[in-house]
Amino acid sequence: MEWKLELILFVLLSVMAVFSAIMMVTRRSPINSAIFLIINFFASAGIYLLLQAQFIAVIQVLVYMGAIMVLVIFVIMLLNLQDESKLSEQFSYKKLTSLLLSVLLFCLLGFSVFFGFSGKFTSISGEAEKLGTAESLGKELVLAYSVPFEIAGLLLLAAVVGAVVLAKKSFD
Amino acid sequence: MLEGYIPIFIIIFISAAFAFLNINLSSLLGPNRPNKEKLSTYESGMEPIGTAHDRFSIKYYMVAVSFIVFDIEVVFLYPWAVSFLNFPKPEMIYSFVIGLIFIVVLAVGLIYEYKKGVLKWD
Amino acid sequence: MLEINYYLILSALLFSIGVLGVLVRRNAIIIFMSIELMLNAINISLVSFSSYLGEISGQIFVFMVLTVAAAEAAVGLAIIISLYRNKSTVNIDEINILKW
Repeated sequence: MEWKLELILFVLLSVMAVFSAIMMVTRRSPINSAIFLIINFFASAGIYLLLQAQFIAVIQVLVYMGAIMVLVIFVIMLLNLQDESKLSEQFSYKKLTSLLLSVLLFCLLGFSVFFGFSGKFTSISGEAEKLGTAESLGKELVLAYSVPFEIAGLLLLAAVVGAVVLAKKSFD
Repeated sequence: MLEGYIPIFIIIFISAAFAFLNINLSSLLGPNRPNKEKLSTYESGMEPIGTAHDRFSIKYYMVAVSFIVFDIEVVFLYPWAVSFLNFPKPEMIYSFVIGLIFIVVLAVGLIYEYKKGVLKWD
Repeated sequence: MLEINYYLILSALLFSIGVLGVLVRRNAIIIFMSIELMLNAINISLVSFSSYLGEISGQIFVFMVLTVAAAEAAVGLAIIISLYRNKSTVNIDEINILKW
C-alpha cells in the first residue's frame, strides 16, 4: 500500500516535471516558458516531500516559485519582449547537434546511475523523516556549517551590491 | 508517513479545482452575445491608446531584488531560530553570535540600498 | 520503497533538458531559466542522496545552491537588463562583442 502510493505519486510528479521542462524549453514566448518552469518547480517540491525533506519542499515553493520566478517574470515584462518572439529560432544543423549532445549526456548519466547504484540503496533511511525538519537542519547549519553560513551571507551582500550597481543607471 | 500528506494534496486539489471552476463557470452559465461595443476596453469611455503590455519601471526590479535577498535571509534564519533554544549554553552563545554576524552582513546591504536611494519613491 | 535510481534518473533527465535549453535557445532569459532548471535537477539528486543515506549534509548543500541561484537571479537579470539597454536585444547571437 505504502509502496504503491509512493510509486503512483512519483510517476505523477515526474511526468509533470519532465513534461513542463520540455514545454519550458520549446515555447516561443518567454512568459509561457516562465509559467511552465513554475509548474516544474511545483512538481519538484512534491518530489522533495516524497523524499521526506519537508523543509526543503517548503523553501522550494517559497524561494523558487515565490521569489526567483517573480523576478524573472518582472524582467520579461520590464523588457517587453512581445515583439521579439521570432528571434531567429529556426531549425538548423546546430540545433540537431545540440539535441544529439544532450541525448548523449542523458545516456551517459543514466548508464552511470544504472550501473553504479542498482540495488545499492533500496529504501529511504529511517532517520530521513527526522532529518528533514527545520530544527535538525538549523542545528547542522549553525554548528557544523557555520562558516558556509556566513559566506552565504556575504554572497547575498555581493548580489545586492551588484544588482544595485548594474541597474543604477536608469535611476538617474 | 506519506499518508500524512494526503490532506495537503486534497486541499491543493480542492483549491485549484475551485479557482478553475469559478473562473470558467460564469462563461458557461451566463448568456454570451458579444458585439463590438461590449468588447471594447471602456464601453462608454475614451478610446485606449497603445497596448496594455507597457514597460515597467526599473524601480519594481530593485524592489524584487531586495525581496529575493531578504527572503533567502529569512530562509536561513528560520532553522537557526527554531534550533536555537534546544542547545546547551556554550553552543547557544556561539549560534547567537553566528546568527548576529549574518544579520549584520545583510543589514550592510540594506544600508547600501538606502544610501543609494533605491528605496526612495517619489 | 522505490530505489534511489528512480530519483537520480529523473534528475539526470531534467538536467539534460536544461542543457538542451541552454544549447538550443537564443533568448538570454530562456537560457537563464534553463540554468535554473539544471540547478533544480542537481537539488533533486542531492536531496535523494541525503535521505537515502540518512545524512543531512545534502540538504545543507541545497541551501547553498539556493543562495547561489538567488544571487545569480539578482545579478544575472540585472546584466540582461543592462545588455538590453545598450543593444536593445536579448538575442545572444547578436551579443558577440567579446568574440574574438
